[in-house]
Amino acid sequence: MSIISLPPRCDRAAAEALLPEMIAALGSGPLAIDARGCTQIGQVMLQILVSARRTGEGAVIQASPMLRDTARRLGLEPELFDDAPVVATTRADIKGADA
Amino acid sequence: MNAEEIQAIFFAECEESLAAAEAGLAACKAGTHDDDTVNAVFRGVHSIKGGAGAFGYIALQSYTHTFETLLSDVRDGTVAITEALIDLLLRALDTLSDHVAATRGLGEAPDDAALQAEMTAAMAANAGAAPAATPATSRDDDEAPELSDFDFSAMLDDIAGAIGQTGAEPDTEATWTARVRPHAEAMRNGSEPLLMLREMIDLGGTCTGCDVSQVPPLDTIDAGTGYLGWTFALPADVSEAAVRDIFDFVGDECSLAFGDDAPMPPVRQPALRAVAPPATATMAPAAPATATAASEIVAPTHRPAALAAVPAAAAPAPPAMGQSIRIELGKLDKLIDAVGELVIAQAMMAQRLAGDGLAVTEELAMLEGLTRDIQESAMAIRAQPIGSVFSRVPRILRELTASTGKHVRLEVSGESTELDKTVIERLGEPLTHLIRNAVDHGIEPADARLAAGKPAEGTLTLSAEHKSGRILIRIGDDGRGIDRDRVLGKAIEKGLVAPDAVLSKEEIDLLIFAPGFSTAAQITNVSGRGVGMDVVRQNVKDLGGRITIESEPGSGTTFTLTLPLTLAISDGMVVNVGDQTLVVPLANVVESLRPDPAEVKGLGAHRAMINVRGRFIPVVPLHLAVGAAGAVERPEQGVLIVVETEGAGRASLLVDAIVDQRQVVIKSLDTHYRSVEGVAGATILGDGRVALIVDVDGLVAHSLADSGLQEAA
Repeated sequence: MSIISLPPRCDRAAAEALLPEMIAALGSGPLAIDARGCTQIGQVMLQILVSARRTGEGAVIQASPMLRDTARRLGLEPELFDDAPVVATTRADIKGADA
Repeated sequence: MNAEEIQAIFFAECEESLAAAEAGLAACKAGTHDDDTVNAVFRGVHSIKGGAGAFGYIALQSYTHTFETLLSDVRDGTVAITEALIDLLLRALDTLSDHVAATRGLGEAPDDAALQAEMTAAMAANAGAAPAATPATSRDDDEAPELSDFDFSAMLDDIAGAIGQTGAEPDTEATWTARVRPHAEAMRNGSEPLLMLREMIDLGGTCTGCDVSQVPPLDTIDAGTGYLGWTFALPADVSEAAVRDIFDFVGDECSLAFGDDAPMPPVRQPALRAVAPPATATMAPAAPATATAASEIVAPTHRPAALAAVPAAAAPAPPAMGQSIRIELGKLDKLIDAVGELVIAQAMMAQRLAGDGLAVTEELAMLEGLTRDIQESAMAIRAQPIGSVFSRVPRILRELTASTGKHVRLEVSGESTELDKTVIERLGEPLTHLIRNAVDHGIEPADARLAAGKPAEGTLTLSAEHKSGRILIRIGDDGRGIDRDRVLGKAIEKGLVAPDAVLSKEEIDLLIFAPGFSTAAQITNVSGRGVGMDVVRQNVKDLGGRITIESEPGSGTTFTLTLPLTLAISDGMVVNVGDQTLVVPLANVVESLRPDPAEVKGLGAHRAMINVRGRFIPVVPLHLAVGAAGAVERPEQGVLIVVETEGAGRASLLVDAIVDQRQVVIKSLDTHYRSVEGVAGATILGDGRVALIVDVDGLVAHSLADSGLQEAA
């Protein structure tokens, strides 16, 4: 399994630089993305992570607390992480969860 | 791309931003005060500020900052839009335009201290009246020059922080739904959609879902495209406008949809761009982007779908970004040159085939049609709306109002009429002269207007329209009209006409184009030095156009410029004169005829007039003008082409025969040889020979001056 580590700052430039590497890695088998050091993330990297999850066997992402939190706030937690709790996707569900 | 090229793009964009702001302010002045209009002005100034910051143009940046802050108050409704404010904003815009010019190295930086103080006062006054009324949020983000990557990391830190914080939970009250889909541009230039989503959370919104269905597999993903779309539930007390405000800065680069039933806006595929926007920080890893762009050419089906499905709830979209490309003019000129050569080559081939008895072949007709199509498309690329010239007029009028005290209302029509870029560029100067002239001489002072029963404010009308392959531009005023007695008196005084000359109204009007002519009692700094109108006529003539005057005493004067659509190719009549082949521009041709000997009246040994339906028109033998040997010398043996000229009325050119009527590619003699009187240029014929294009106005005026003849009724 190949492992790709994300830098602390995952802005657009970082995403574009890492994209070819990820494509190559996913083409040759399972991929793990180590995002434990990630402290900032932008939309470009976020959608690349989503895509990596949905490509081939799907990448496994190890998240930093920041990434995890951002994903939760933006409705992407179940999409990005295998161990994500089933969360609200509709307003009714949120209410239900609150109750 | 190097820094200079990027700078050049910045300045080109400055021009566009200034034009957009000018248009917006003009609309405001006309009474349109809606959000879109004010936003357009704001965005124009804002983007200049951003670029100025990125390139380190301190003076420009600090000036735009003040300007922008005031505009932002206007946008937020904390400063009311009044006549005085619009005037202030217009003056500020003029100064901004000077600032941009100075930054480019064209002139001195304006002294803006007083104006800045005035703008600040306009803001401060507001601050006193309604402290802290500014509702929003994004001001701090706006402060940063958005092209700089400087504080990006701080911003991203912020995202984590803010998104990590407990956003206000949706209360149990009713909520409403907003959907957000950021597009490519929203992720460029240091702007980050997630920051805007943070603001939605700050407003009390909760993300209820993220649409990931459009995210493609990794190997086909384009980092520049926005694939994610978010659905937010917002508390009922948050207005739609507040959400729009968040995304206002990126314009239509974040599609928004409001309401529970509104569908998620579709993904927008990036259009192919020839030149990336200046601040793209990602020149190096361009390979994936290029690949995607190329694949789009093969499969362009995404785009129409994306465009068709713009949700009704979204704001009316300005012209889509990325649908145009910026091309260096030199490249375009090369293309036009090549097309010109193609036209010639096609004509040569046609001639060769005709020589072999193959004139009528289907393939040749097809080639001819295609050549014409290519040529028209190439010309269309160079065509620009005349609005870019018209948009400078409000500023000229403001300056004139300041110096003459006359208030003038501008009415413009046909500003989307397109004509060749070269024509547009060279139109600015004559147009400015005519407008100054109209305001200074034409429109009366307010008291005189009131006394004459007219509104105190003068009206200047500008219009443009296409008419039979030419473009007509009219500049009209509702002033006093041309005082013909005074013009004639002045002309006699200056010795331009004989004291006992009897001139028609039109001839008197044309006197104002004579060099050195001015009736202004006193020379103002606006006009009156007598340089101007003759320059105007020369400019228009250089463009292959004509200028005519209609004037009605007491009710105004209208100047009409008739211009060709392009300077590169024109329609001409190919004629034989003795051993020479010449081209007569079709624009001048009225009719051609084979004269009845009875209609030709000889005058002296060599001169003749021809009676055309009761009008006597002088005959100009072309062979004398060009020195052709063996030409027809008697009008009744040849063909007469009746032409309309600028200064000498109608005349008829005597030629041996008309050979053809077709498009000719104009090659300038000035650049390849030197300027020759009576010759407008040259062209290459189908058989490879060079033919001269006759300058009908010059030639007729010259030969009639020699012979002393003129058209007579």
